[in-house]
Amino acid sequence: MAETNTVQHPILWIHGEALGPANPVLLAHPDRPAVFVFDDELINGAGLSLKRLGFLYECLLELPVTLRRGAVAAEVLGFARRHQADGVVTSAAVDPRFVAICAAISAELPLVVLPLEPFVALEAGDLKRFSRYWRRAEPLVWDQFSPPEPGPNS
Amino acid sequence: MQSGDSLPEPTKELSWPSDPDDLPRRLAGRAELQTTLQQLFANASGELSPIVGGWAAAQKQLAALDPGAYGRSRNHLGGAVTRLSPYIRHGVLGLAAVRDAVLARITRRLEGEKLINELGWRDYWQRLWQQLGDSIWEDQEPLKTGHPAASYAAELPADIAAAQTGLACMDAFIDELVSTGWLHNHARMWLASYVVHWRRVRWQAGARWFLQHLLDGDPASNNLSWQWVASSFSHKPYVFNRANLERFGAGVHCEGCAAARRCPFEASYEALEQRLFAMPPSPRRR
Repeated sequence: MAETNTVQHPILWIHGEALGPANPVLLAHPDRPAVFVFDDELINGAGLSLKRLGFLYECLLELPVTLRRGAVAAEVLGFARRHQADGVVTSAAVDPRFVAICAAISAELPLVVLPLEPFVALEAGDLKRFSRYWRRAEPLVWDQFSPPEPGPNS
Repeated sequence: MQSGDSLPEPTKELSWPSDPDDLPRRLAGRAELQTTLQQLFANASGELSPIVGGWAAAQKQLAALDPGAYGRSRNHLGGAVTRLSPYIRHGVLGLAAVRDAVLARITRRLEGEKLINELGWRDYWQRLWQQLGDSIWEDQEPLKTGHPAASYAAELPADIAAAQTGLACMDAFIDELVSTGWLHNHARMWLASYVVHWRRVRWQAGARWFLQHLLDGDPASNNLSWQWVASSFSHKPYVFNRANLERFGAGVHCEGCAAARRCPFEASYEALEQRLFAMPPSPRRR
């Protein structure tokens, strides 16, 4: 993956794991063209119902983003060419499809992947059962909680 | 967050030129959105959900968050659940932002523990997905039901897909799943247990079906929860009985159910486990 400062005129690839205005990509580059691609292979392969597509569409209408459909990497690269971009910026995702799409994009253009704020900053460890994960994670989450100071009448 | 015909207002005009093949951003209302999507995605079945997507809708849902009430009532179908899952799944709201909203709204740790714990489950499933990749579609462990994996049907039976099982509870859950794209977690568990254990269907068929419909459909949370029910990601299969469903389902399903007198869920847990599973004999003592 490319470093952030190697890309001066990127386009932004918005994907289905970050459809909010707090997407770090939109915050970092508010003036750059952004695109979302409805992934035909995923939609047809999984047999997604109209409800799911409608929900995504409504989320997207609130964001400054061009909407496309088709093969994701090809559409993102086509969008980049139309805007004479020198790179692509996106946000991290968990879906394994993301890795393959990123590989196809970065074969042609520098790709910067911005991290999302984690729920808990936890190093990799035992995930065999939730209880083992939670034993390590729970104290870290609650470290961030400070009960309100009691008021004068309480 | 549910509403009638209004669509989110596009936040601003795009500051770059459009292309003839771009999908439309100017739509008069939800009816036009539905028609447009039907034309664009002819294979996508059904209609829009009454649940509206978007940041504004998510904010309204977040404003209604009551961590204490959630902790007390979340297992009941009518409980104070958050309904934030579709927005979290698609990153309209980040999990960290929801965590902060919970922590800001409570005065004592106890009030927020259950909800924080559930957010932890979401994080856990995502971490596992990162680790396991597409193998979340495969059994993580052997089933503990005593039945060989091959004895489970590969496809979802037609009466289940059509909400015509004849069981009022299951048909109501299926109707809600298909028409709204959302189901209470307890209903998901009951329905999944019915599909896998009573109907002996592979969990993958049920998981794929849920992902077609659930607005929060996330392969990690969904598949690994189905595996938890099936027992390929837990120590034993998850089953429920009629008393459990009546207690947490407010008893609304059984009244008037055509199958109430021959209810397949009416039994003790011991009897159900004996009926549904072929547990291997305990290991011999040496």
